[in-house]
Amino acid sequence: MIPDILSFKNTKCECGHQNPVGTVLCEACGKPISKEDQESDKLLEMRYDGMARRSQRSTPNMIDRIWNFFSSVKIAVYMIVLTLLGSMFGTIFPQESTFLNIDAATYYPETYGTAGLIYYKLGLSHTYESWWFVLLLVMIGASLVICSLDRVLPLYKALSKRKIRKHMQFLTRQKVVYQTRLDEDEEVWINNIVPALKKRGYRVHTDGSALLAEKYRFSRWGPYILHIGLIIFLLAVLARGLPGLNMDQHLAFPEGEIKPIPNTSFYLKNEKFTVEYYTEDDLPEEFKGKGKMLPKLFQTQATLYECTADCKDPSKEPQLVEVDSHPIEVNDPLNYKGLKAYQFDFDTNPILRSVTPSLIEKKTGKDIGQFKLDIRNPERTYQVGEYTLNLVEKYMDFGMNDLGEPVSISPNPNAPSFLFLIKGPNLPAEGVQYFYFPKQIDKQRFQQDIINEKLAGAYNLFELDVDGMSNVDFSMSTTYLNIRVDKVMPFVWLGSAIGMLGLVMGFYWQHRRIWIRIDEGDLTLAAHTNKNWFGIRKEITVVLQKVNMEVDEKSLDNGGNQV
Amino acid sequence: MKLLDFSSMFFTIAFLVYCVAFILYGVAVMGRVWRNRDPEQHMKKWGRLSFLVSTLGLVAHLIYFFTRWAGAGHIPVSNMFEFMSTLSMMIIIAFTVIFIIYRKTLLGLFAVPIAIIIMAYAAVFPQEAQPLIPSLQSWWLQVHVTMAALGESFFAIGFAAGFMYLLRTVDFNSKEKSDRRQQRGVEFTLLSIVVVIGFIASVYAFRVGGYESVFTQEQESKVSRVEYKLPPIVAPYQSKVESFQSFLGMKEPLFEAPSWMVGINAGRKLNTIIWSVLAGLILYALIRLILRKPLGRAIHPLLKGLDADDLDEITYRSIAIGFPIFTLGALIFAMMWAQIAWGRFWGWDPKEVWALITWLFYSVYLHLRLSRGWQGKKSAWLAVLGFMIVMFTLVGVNLVIAGLHSYAGTN
Amino acid sequence: MGKSRKKVQIVILLMIVILGGYAIISNVNGSGGKPEVGDKAPSFNLLGLDGSVHNLDEYKGKAMVINFWGTWCKPCVKEMPALQAQSEKWKDKDVVVIGINAGEDVMSVDNFVKQANISFPILLDPNKEAIQSYGISPLPTTLFVAADGRIKKIHLGELDLSTLDYEIEQLVSNQ
Repeated sequence: MIPDILSFKNTKCECGHQNPVGTVLCEACGKPISKEDQESDKLLEMRYDGMARRSQRSTPNMIDRIWNFFSSVKIAVYMIVLTLLGSMFGTIFPQESTFLNIDAATYYPETYGTAGLIYYKLGLSHTYESWWFVLLLVMIGASLVICSLDRVLPLYKALSKRKIRKHMQFLTRQKVVYQTRLDEDEEVWINNIVPALKKRGYRVHTDGSALLAEKYRFSRWGPYILHIGLIIFLLAVLARGLPGLNMDQHLAFPEGEIKPIPNTSFYLKNEKFTVEYYTEDDLPEEFKGKGKMLPKLFQTQATLYECTADCKDPSKEPQLVEVDSHPIEVNDPLNYKGLKAYQFDFDTNPILRSVTPSLIEKKTGKDIGQFKLDIRNPERTYQVGEYTLNLVEKYMDFGMNDLGEPVSISPNPNAPSFLFLIKGPNLPAEGVQYFYFPKQIDKQRFQQDIINEKLAGAYNLFELDVDGMSNVDFSMSTTYLNIRVDKVMPFVWLGSAIGMLGLVMGFYWQHRRIWIRIDEGDLTLAAHTNKNWFGIRKEITVVLQKVNMEVDEKSLDNGGNQV
Repeated sequence: MKLLDFSSMFFTIAFLVYCVAFILYGVAVMGRVWRNRDPEQHMKKWGRLSFLVSTLGLVAHLIYFFTRWAGAGHIPVSNMFEFMSTLSMMIIIAFTVIFIIYRKTLLGLFAVPIAIIIMAYAAVFPQEAQPLIPSLQSWWLQVHVTMAALGESFFAIGFAAGFMYLLRTVDFNSKEKSDRRQQRGVEFTLLSIVVVIGFIASVYAFRVGGYESVFTQEQESKVSRVEYKLPPIVAPYQSKVESFQSFLGMKEPLFEAPSWMVGINAGRKLNTIIWSVLAGLILYALIRLILRKPLGRAIHPLLKGLDADDLDEITYRSIAIGFPIFTLGALIFAMMWAQIAWGRFWGWDPKEVWALITWLFYSVYLHLRLSRGWQGKKSAWLAVLGFMIVMFTLVGVNLVIAGLHSYAGTN
Repeated sequence: MGKSRKKVQIVILLMIVILGGYAIISNVNGSGGKPEVGDKAPSFNLLGLDGSVHNLDEYKGKAMVINFWGTWCKPCVKEMPALQAQSEKWKDKDVVVIGINAGEDVMSVDNFVKQANISFPILLDPNKEAIQSYGISPLPTTLFVAADGRIKKIHLGELDLSTLDYEIEQLVSNQ
């Protein structure tokens, strides 16, 4: 109790104002509170105008201590520096998230040796998702909230509680001070200077022979508005993790196919993918004739469908309704009610979709008939003229396993092949086997004719042949799109905009105050600004010129270093 | 292509005019002590002339910028040459703004050479205008890059003023530990600048000499080829010599890049760094030999009589002006563009991270200055360090770490 | 004023702890939404080779071995007999083996299943929806899911008979 009473006594100023604990300068008249400070002649500590910060109490408990910790600018600076260093470490090697598909445990040591192994083991390969990095960001967020709360209210009070006639010590210990002897009448001089100040945008308050001129006070709120913006930004980023607010998928769309977008009721069709390159004429000299290809345009003409019925039942065909279509380019995504499709990558290797071969009698060359063979989902049997073709086996990417058996070596239709059993006139009742490779190159590579001769022997009477390109259907290219939903983006931008507003307010305007008091002909002028002392000195010289006082800018400087 | 040639001509003119302006600023500042003249008057007269000339240079530079924009059909910030020359132009713009506010002639003596060095550095890179690849075809290219560069230019002026503050206030005669440390810091900063000059000088020297050696490297059955424009001290990891032009009796590379330096270009970049440091050290040694004292101590007397508080204020002011511009250009516009182009506003790409690091660093600077009362030398050191971070973000990240921004094309 | 101020302080600190805790946990455990050991197995809705639609609810209360495979993938093919044997062995003890094929067409899968004499349910995932929701990258991947629907183990790569037996035993005995 005793320290409380002592401090209670100590904070009462001679002007009669009762100040809270922690106050440096009297809230009303600006006289320094502490004895040592009163005896000093150094510049005053003008931060928050000498008000007590909210958190400063004489007997802190646990909560106060935590509060004070986050309220300290020193701690905030340490946290920013740690975040800065942490971010640096994260850029030494590429982060795991930059790769679509790697095994981090083997990738880093293999690519970067021991350094990579250490990097991985320290968890730096996913720095920005690590607990300590997120913790730092959270602590910065906490510090933003608490620092601002702690300072905004006292500052607001300090700036609104003003006594126009300030204590002499308050004036003479400002950074900008000018003292002189006045010959004219005090009130007249004051009345003369008021319009000069007003002209420069000051709001002027007078109290007899004392004056306070103030402008751009809103600039003081700049930092806090910036902090509010940053908090909104951080909260918005945090909210992205909530279910349903954010979706991110990387999908392949072969040309001409309608493909579902998983976890949504949408389907997207890549109508046509275009890639254009600059012509030789567009290229600078050094590129010409070097065979360098510089892309000019990647574009996916996309149509978006929404499923209206039978969506969740894989045994039925979904019923689709077209809802949007858009040529997607790199800087121009498709956007349908927040669902966005971004151009990401492409692959121009054509994919065989279907062929329509004819069954031909080899000896006579007679065309018995055609049928359409879908590469991915073929029928089990085809009827061609009098002949029945049973599809026995199919291989998407033909190859041989260790036992010499035919297998598919990948699920991709790189080398599709089909084994048919042909039945009909002039053939044995159990039928004849026939191997068919739709791609010409595979026919030769896997020696289709030799295989068939072995399989059919004397009954190798037929062959399948495609007549002309019109009977072949290719998907010419595949486009890769990023499908994204991000419902919090408006808040991210709102936070950025508010933060930017705070920055502009805080940095491009300065809160300036000029106090004047005249005691029996002795004029004392003092001024304070939160930034740009050069500017305020210059302004005071100009104003004083208007009342016929020539003052050297530099001589206004009371020395010392204070912001 | 006529317009582009015209544009290149003005690039050269701007460069030469800046050089003249630099000399004039030198006369304005150093001539104060010449006999038969009033220092104040001399400074005023010559200061005005130098500012006029540097403004003329800026006009030429602006002509370069806009004619190239018209000639190439897009804003000239799409490769390293274009970006660096725009950056140097922005630095002169920032200098002009700060000069109009404070009218400190001496600032020109330090700000103009920064722009000159960056312009020379720009000219190291291939200068042909090339059409834009799809990811750069956006309105955001203009606003993002120019605003970021302008913000960084104010940081550059902050660096110039802060460094001048240090040259002015560091006690170069003291033997005390803390002073010695500051002397070394100033010397190191100067050395870094000399190394950059060394890099530019060696590239030009060998370009004039037409030097070239070629290496090939086979990796996973793919052969890549690299042309060295500087004599190879380091060869790419596990590479073969295709052609080797001998230099000073050097007939083969002295050693090979370590295995963790992936890709054939890593070896070449390491070689460039070694050359820059070597050339820089030689140049530095030569200057030391001529001056017979540390560079910092030699420059210190030039700044005598200058108001240190003003320099402190200018440092802070230009950073305070630059900070919101940088935030808008390098972070907010960058996020908006990234959102439109890639669908994510932030992806922890190295360039993004380093822009954030720069921002965090200057926010530390501002907090320390505004709330903790860090002023004078401490604050000046932060301004110097901050600009080094800026330069690393612009150059180092492309040179050392590659990411999505690697299209900027480095040498 | 003192009292209400303290309340405000406590409320703010609590909010920071809650939001911060959420941020850290969601980021560290996030791993891109991929289910991990201890998580509930994500639901699926897939067409079986038998022509009907299957989902997780059908197997409620049973322990599951979910095997992701493809006919082109050698280790997948190799481990099929072991899976078949185990599915028969544990059939009556409320353990089901399910094979989810990674995006192949009906015919390839059907041919393979007939050839290899597989009798446990095989589901088709032509759009790789289950593959995505389970975050499967290498094949084969086998998940052991307990009767409560929680993932007990994720095995990457080929399984042999004894490991499979051991894992299923673990799965059953833990209940």
